[in-house]
Amino acid sequence: MVTELNESNFDSFVESNKIAIIDCWAPWCGPCRRMGPIIEELANDLAGKVGVAKLNTDESQAIAIRFNINAIPTLLVFKDQVLVDSLVGLRPKEDILSYVNGL
Amino acid sequence: METDVLVIGCGPAGVQAAIHSSRKKASTIVVGKPSNSAVSGTDIDNYFGTGEVSGDSMLANGIAQARSTGAVFIDENVVSASASDGRFVFGLEGGETVTASAVVIATGISREKLGIPGESELLGKGVSYCAICDCNFYRGRRVVIVGNESEAAVSAHLMTSYASEVSWVAWEPSVSGNLVDRAVGAGVARFGSRPVAIEGDGRVERLVLEDGTTIPADGVFIELGARSSVDIAMDLDIMPEMDDTIKVDGRCMTSVPGVFACGDVTGKPWQVAKAVGQGCVAGMQAADHAKGSR
Repeated sequence: MVTELNESNFDSFVESNKIAIIDCWAPWCGPCRRMGPIIEELANDLAGKVGVAKLNTDESQAIAIRFNINAIPTLLVFKDQVLVDSLVGLRPKEDILSYVNGL
Repeated sequence: METDVLVIGCGPAGVQAAIHSSRKKASTIVVGKPSNSAVSGTDIDNYFGTGEVSGDSMLANGIAQARSTGAVFIDENVVSASASDGRFVFGLEGGETVTASAVVIATGISREKLGIPGESELLGKGVSYCAICDCNFYRGRRVVIVGNESEAAVSAHLMTSYASEVSWVAWEPSVSGNLVDRAVGAGVARFGSRPVAIEGDGRVERLVLEDGTTIPADGVFIELGARSSVDIAMDLDIMPEMDDTIKVDGRCMTSVPGVFACGDVTGKPWQVAKAVGQGCVAGMQAADHAKGSR
């Protein structure tokens, strides 16, 4: 299971992972539902190396505003607690893996 | 309206499916606009037995054939889809509802991108391709919906519940009066010139039209075409492939019993020959499924 973040555990998750990838989604978003299984697989594949989590933007609107999220799905990418990228839109697992390997 | 088989899409795959479905004595309705087919406006020169033939005459002949077997054609788009107890319910842009026992998705491949300056640069910074996904981020803000067909009209109406100002740019509109009236009645402002650029410094600030009009906006939603095969599939609990195609088995059935797909929407090769071959299989199978569920 992928860790579900909210406003109370978001910062501690980012702080506790050298690299953190957070899938920002909402239940009614079709592309987000397609991204879901990919994120599940990435969480397994990258376990111990990259922290992979999900954030429901409908339930955690303050975080969506804080990181200027205007479109979902968006992957927020943190390295050493700094936001280094916001990847917007559905993308294949292989693309995300090769992106992560380049970090 | 009730029907045994609903075919969504009016290109070679959908029309062939309708011919075979109605020949099997299943009541058959085809929803779609032939002018949206990839073969409309083109010539076909690699289809068995015809020599070079215009796509439009091929479609017209095919539709006449399907009509002669009893199929009914509705020149509209599907705007909503749902499944319940093995039956499938579709909303049409004119406001009618069709309930079907079996469905054939033959919508072809839709184009999503507008291809204008600023579009890719400002993706996620005000540019969006999914109003229903991103409407919540635009509460109290100004948005423009871009698109000539039903999905743009539906999106514009949706956004009136969220945004402070909603504009809709349709330069060659092809939408039923029902949807236009609903959007305009909800306060949507209409513009009729082609978009040429999305501008802004790090975020969307305005959309520029060919006639020189500038529309100030915080968001530009690009909603070209009709409700896409991907959206319809997901409405029916079918997960599309990453390349937006729909996977089918040898009977052209998707992962949901009673829902079939054929033609370009199932993947390459994007050829008339493959489309009509799959249309034949999908139409027969859909008819059998529907009659079995009577």
